[in-house]
Amino acid sequence: MIKLDNITKYYPSQLGNQYVFKGLSFDIPSDHNIGILGSNGAGKSTLFRLLAGSEYANSGRITTDVNLSWPVALTTGIHQQMTGQENTRFIGKINGIADLESYEERVKAFAELGQKYYLPVRTYSSGMKPRLAFACSIAIDFDVYLIDEVTSVGDAKFRRKAKQALLERSEQASIIMVSHEMDEIRQFCDSAIVLHNGELTFYNDLEQGIAEYQAL
Amino acid sequence: MTTVIKRNKWEIWRDVIFALFVREIRTGFNDKVGISWSVIQPVAFIFLLSFLRGRMDGGDTHTIPTFTFMAIGLLFIQSFLQTFGSAAQAISKNKALYAFRQVQPISAVLASALFELLVKAFVILGIIVIMYFMGMDLQISDPLLFLSCFFLLWFLAVSLGLIFGIAELFLKEIKKVRDLLTRPLFFISGVFFSLQDFPREYWHFLDWNPILHAIELTRFSVHSSYGDAGVSLSYLATVCLVSFFLSLIIYFTYWKEAISR
Repeated sequence: MIKLDNITKYYPSQLGNQYVFKGLSFDIPSDHNIGILGSNGAGKSTLFRLLAGSEYANSGRITTDVNLSWPVALTTGIHQQMTGQENTRFIGKINGIADLESYEERVKAFAELGQKYYLPVRTYSSGMKPRLAFACSIAIDFDVYLIDEVTSVGDAKFRRKAKQALLERSEQASIIMVSHEMDEIRQFCDSAIVLHNGELTFYNDLEQGIAEYQAL
Repeated sequence: MTTVIKRNKWEIWRDVIFALFVREIRTGFNDKVGISWSVIQPVAFIFLLSFLRGRMDGGDTHTIPTFTFMAIGLLFIQSFLQTFGSAAQAISKNKALYAFRQVQPISAVLASALFELLVKAFVILGIIVIMYFMGMDLQISDPLLFLSCFFLLWFLAVSLGLIFGIAELFLKEIKKVRDLLTRPLFFISGVFFSLQDFPREYWHFLDWNPILHAIELTRFSVHSSYGDAGVSLSYLATVCLVSFFLSLIIYFTYWKEAISR
């Protein structure tokens, strides 16, 4: 269970504060695979960053007893000058991985970077960096994975592999995902949250949620 | 299976600061000279300037060797400026890492401040080694005072850096103000002169500056004959303590807002 308690979030701008959420209270069940649906600018990414703890609400609090991931495949934490291995170690250390060696091996095997794993990230091709980032997050056993349009990672082969890994993971863990691809949502999720005008609505049945979202 | 250990807040802090510290060492310098440059450069600078200055006059300034006089001044002002600058920059430099919930801005500040401390410890060592080989006497009359001044000044730099780092996230232009403010510090902090060179009635133009207190006290700590007229450790400590608490107040009030903009 992820509990949002009276969340208010706005971004300052030249036209005054732009409110995304005003006094939002909501319980997100953590035993479902949830797709977050909403049109552009409805606040999906903001909600996501709040859940991930990358940003904080202006007032109110988010409490949870589960272990949430950071947004999967987010490449911003990867340093250009460090090697793939060093980046992996850094992420592992920060997240408190018990056995760093085996974590490194797991990431190396999953990312399929070969020798490049031991070279600085700046020498990587554009598809390799997201692959490393994806491998870093999928190799940790979180309770809930936050996924933002993840399946755009890498080439077709890697994409299949990433999907497969996520599906396997979703048997023990749950997934909260943002995507505009309904097929993708159908593949991973069993329920939906529709985000509209700063309000959240939970639909236990995914199809019902999608129908509501498309009727908006 | 990769399991995540349940850690308490302190263990998370320790791990994060350690990881950032290693990252700092790893990424700070990328050419062949690497991290040694951060020690060689200040040692060479301090040595050359102090040595030339020592040659130009009789070799003594207010009863202490001019080399020591200058080396202390340069070392301390450099430590202050560099620690202050890197602490202030650490917050925005590591902004991408706050995507990980475990990483908080203050960890980044502490990691870069510890890095600077380590570098400066090696710089002191380098200068001592040079002084030893040049046959200068290495006596120190009050080592405890020396260490107090060194750490207090570092502490002051970190506190002020934290304040500026947070402020710069709200208003980018503050970085320019910071550059402007730090420039004259090199010339008013007693690096090239002593407070004793000035008539007593003009001291109040200079003695508000805690860096001056730190530098003069350190010279006194090395050679007690230098005297400590006009400066006091308690003033330095008070300024440090006040800015430390002020920086913590500002940090705890604004950090979430600052990184959520």
